[in-house]
Amino acid sequence: MAVTKLFGASIKRREDPRMITGRANYTDDVRLPGTLSLAILRSPYAHARIKRINVEKARQLPGVVAVYTGKDLADTLAPVPCAWLPPNSDLKVPEYRALAIDTVRYVGDGVAAVVAEDRYRAADALAAIEVDYEILPAVVDQEKAVAEGAPQLYADVPNNTAFVWRLSGGDVEAALAQADVVVSQRLVNHRLIPTAMETRAALAYYNPGSGELTLWCTSQNPHIHRLLLSAVTGLPETRIRVISTDVGGGFGSKLPFYAGEMIASAIAKDLGRPIKWVEDRRENFVATTHGRDHIDYVDVAAKRDGTITGIRVRSYANMGAYLSTAAPGVPTWLFGLMLSGPYTIPNVAVEVYGVLTNTTPTDAYRGAGRPEATYILERMMDLVADRLGMDPVEIRRKNFIPKDKFPYTVATTLQYDSGDYELTLNRALEIVGYDAFRKEQAEARKQGRLLGIGLSSYVEVCGLAPSQAAGAMGFQGGLWESATVRVHPSGKVSVFTGANPHGQGEETTFAQLVADELGVPIDDVEVVHGDTGRIPFGMGTYGSRSTAVGGSALVYAARKVRDKGAKIAAHLLEVSPDDIVFDQGRYYVKGAPDRVKTFQEVAGAAYLAWSMPEGVTPGLEETHFFDPINNTYPFGTHVCVVEVDPHTGQVTFRRYVAVDDVGHVINPMIVDGQVHGGIAQGLAQAVYEAAVYDENGQLLTGSLMDYAIPTASMVPTYEVDRTETPTPVNPMGLKGAGETGTIASTPAVVNAIIDALKPYGITHLDMPLTPQRIWQAIQQAQKGS
Amino acid sequence: MKHQITVTVNGTQYTSEVEPRLLLVHYLRDVLNLTGTHVGCDTSQCGACTVLINGEAVKSCTVLAVQADGAEITTIEGLAKDGQLHPLQEGFWEMHGLQCGFCTPGMIMTAYDLLQKNPNPSEEEIRHGLEGNLCRCTGYQNIVRAVQYASDKMRGQPVAAGND
Amino acid sequence: MKISGSYTMQAARQAVWDKLIDPDAIAGCLPGVEELTKVGDNEFTMAMTVGIGPVRGTYAGKVTLANLNPPESYEMQVEGSGRPGFVKGSGQIHLAQGVGGGTAITYEGDVEVGGPVGSVAQRMLGGVARRMIEQFFGCIEKQITGG
Ligand code: FES
Ligand code: FES
Repeated sequence: MAVTKLFGASIKRREDPRMITGRANYTDDVRLPGTLSLAILRSPYAHARIKRINVEKARQLPGVVAVYTGKDLADTLAPVPCAWLPPNSDLKVPEYRALAIDTVRYVGDGVAAVVAEDRYRAADALAAIEVDYEILPAVVDQEKAVAEGAPQLYADVPNNTAFVWRLSGGDVEAALAQADVVVSQRLVNHRLIPTAMETRAALAYYNPGSGELTLWCTSQNPHIHRLLLSAVTGLPETRIRVISTDVGGGFGSKLPFYAGEMIASAIAKDLGRPIKWVEDRRENFVATTHGRDHIDYVDVAAKRDGTITGIRVRSYANMGAYLSTAAPGVPTWLFGLMLSGPYTIPNVAVEVYGVLTNTTPTDAYRGAGRPEATYILERMMDLVADRLGMDPVEIRRKNFIPKDKFPYTVATTLQYDSGDYELTLNRALEIVGYDAFRKEQAEARKQGRLLGIGLSSYVEVCGLAPSQAAGAMGFQGGLWESATVRVHPSGKVSVFTGANPHGQGEETTFAQLVADELGVPIDDVEVVHGDTGRIPFGMGTYGSRSTAVGGSALVYAARKVRDKGAKIAAHLLEVSPDDIVFDQGRYYVKGAPDRVKTFQEVAGAAYLAWSMPEGVTPGLEETHFFDPINNTYPFGTHVCVVEVDPHTGQVTFRRYVAVDDVGHVINPMIVDGQVHGGIAQGLAQAVYEAAVYDENGQLLTGSLMDYAIPTASMVPTYEVDRTETPTPVNPMGLKGAGETGTIASTPAVVNAIIDALKPYGITHLDMPLTPQRIWQAIQQAQKGS
Repeated sequence: MKHQITVTVNGTQYTSEVEPRLLLVHYLRDVLNLTGTHVGCDTSQCGACTVLINGEAVKSCTVLAVQADGAEITTIEGLAKDGQLHPLQEGFWEMHGLQCGFCTPGMIMTAYDLLQKNPNPSEEEIRHGLEGNLCRCTGYQNIVRAVQYASDKMRGQPVAAGND
Repeated sequence: MKISGSYTMQAARQAVWDKLIDPDAIAGCLPGVEELTKVGDNEFTMAMTVGIGPVRGTYAGKVTLANLNPPESYEMQVEGSGRPGFVKGSGQIHLAQGVGGGTAITYEGDVEVGGPVGSVAQRMLGGVARRMIEQFFGCIEKQITGG
């Protein structure tokens, strides 16, 4: 591995100058002359039949160009496909239309679309559309939705059950039967709203002369969106270009394929004018996918000494009203396979009900499945420890997969690549001063003060791969990544990656990689992403896979370039390629370092092609498709220290320590930033954020006033540290760092608060642990005692 | 009915005919094409639209364009002078105070106001001062450090080392 | 969202009853009602301006009174929709003879708002509804007692 100056250096980000000066180009910043504004009328009811739509008044308003209903678009736009179809799960994929045709199934379901001269006139027109609804009974809660007599969303999906997915390894029933203790708990992993600061947007332009459709949109995966857009519009991919260069955060919510983008495209073609749609925030709350929303019934079998022998989980996963693009994969493969976490649990069984309800569809949200699995394990570890009178540290230590057992195959058949779980635990305990804290806690308790410490040791699966596994899981795509390295005649380099960073900083880290591999100055390397017109193909950015998979593709492509360069250099220096040494951008003859060609000279020679070696073609450009042999498995331990005010239930964060191991690190500054942001989101789930519906299916937390994403004073200072255990599955030995923070932090915070409440005998509370909920639990406990 | 307004934005005077209901943020973005000022919400919660009006940070989605008649406005595009980044812009870059960058212009404008009123704020004061601005990416820690960097630099103090 | 509450009026039960089902009294006392037209037996259409949280708007809708059991109880349904979304409510109103010739009114019901107003104003709904009901009964009481 080429560990030179740039790999491992906290290089300042090259995406920043345009962003700190207001010159970035987010979708709504793109201007085309003659653009019309598109607005979508959304259902105010969670479940209703559309009896009649009258668009005449709207059509006649000044500035209104056109109005479309679901019927008007039914022939132009095919239903939105679902791209993750878990096999053997009795899967039923309901028809998902860009605009509802006769039934709306959640508050926010599209009903009509208006195109007007500007956004104000489009809004006026929405208000003038008259819709007669026949209100149908709605169901919001997934457990109620599968119960007998529940309102049914679809005639052909009995019991609102879209799929039932099962997986097991070992013999859980036997483990439970033979256990010294069985600890059972119902855990609610409530619904969250991703809330990227940029809402979704689309600008579509169709050129009738060339037949080409260009769509600027807020996408984490433009090539996949192009493919799906081609599928719904019938336009060939060669006539569609999707561009998403600057995207204002995604966290999974910009992975799915949505109505707004499709409708803008269809109408742009219909009217021959550029069409822009920009979601407003309250629309974002209902029309962009939500995340989590699991109800889990968990049974853990353990021996008296703390050895965990089995875990059984039954999950009800709320899918919302339709199956969004990757939704079925989240509570199944990304969740079920990870249910033994960093522990040697030999018997695992999981059963997942994917349930349709009258709510906004759910899909991937940062971590997608792994936070849910980690929450279960880390909560249960504490519950079992409590039952056995063990220290939470000891029970974890006892069950960790030992570091000399890697690669390790878990009960669900995944093979973990590498790990040293105890190392991160020890480091975290050392930083936080665990033993001293326990003493302080004991003292504080005597004075009636509630201090608590919470641990979360996790392992996650990321760098999702290989494609063969993707196929077996029912993912309708591959999990490889592609990269092209194009060296220009001057020796300057353009890198084209199929990953599409939107905050993760790969414009910088990928340049670091390539500059290292080719020995050129980093400023000579440009990284191009997010444009299907320039990049061969790509899977996009999600699942912490851009660097592990996309970065590796890039390294291999750069190495191919380097090797071709070596042949050309050997030819120019009149030696055998075997006698060429490449070092820091120079090709020289072994033993004769003064006989040298620089990389730039070689690039020039490759393009002049006046004298090429036998069988070597002109030019210097290579593409590599990298399909790793395995996923990567980052791990770590987070520790949170809190104080709870017994009179108000208010939680104060005293410390937050994160020790992660993501393998080797290209740019520590960027990885730290990923960890910070991840912690903030996971911590917010533990104590602040919750999407709440009333029983009619109205979203009660439909604005930033009611949905509490944290502000600067609501989060603690994070103390971030790392250990480095490389993975063998890619050339750089790195694993992926985008989701570790979110996965680890939620249970760390909950465990800390529950630990603080221990004097009251409280062993579990469902999130979010708001002051009110904590206060009530304290009151309850005091009454009880 | 349209109204005529005259505003000075980043040192340039503009006279426009605007509808009375046009928000200042849409005026800046859609009429003047200054797209560095962002829109992140419709309930004046996120602060992505923050600009300086007569030197004070204001959420431009809460102001009608007609109310800004006669005002002096600075947007993120006007902060760097003569190709020289403002210390806040420098701080955000040095300290990795942004990821997706969407909240950044608003954060910087709010921090500008904060440092104007309190040139040497404590960490707590910075966090408090930024409460009207939401960031979903950074977890705020590096934003705080970015503001500290700018505060040091603007007061002629040696700046904290960047990330290493 | 469920709401319930009570209100005691210093007025005789029959007098209260008469006012509570009188369209003019309803129109005069329900805050924000701009017009109320009788369209059938115990059925009225109305236009009403209400502010819920940050959203203020006019709703066109219908008021229906049902299961009238004078002077003890009745049910009331209100339904309105407009630019800001829709508002729906239904409730049961009971009138009991209070001490000293007064009337004790208790109500319980369900209110729902949806559409644009729903996404930003849910939190305020309970408070707004309660305040409107208080104002309504207060006004009716004044009409009866002439205070
Ligand atoms: S756009 Fe969110 S506060 Fe102005
Ligand atoms: S950097 Fe993305 S919202 Fe702040």
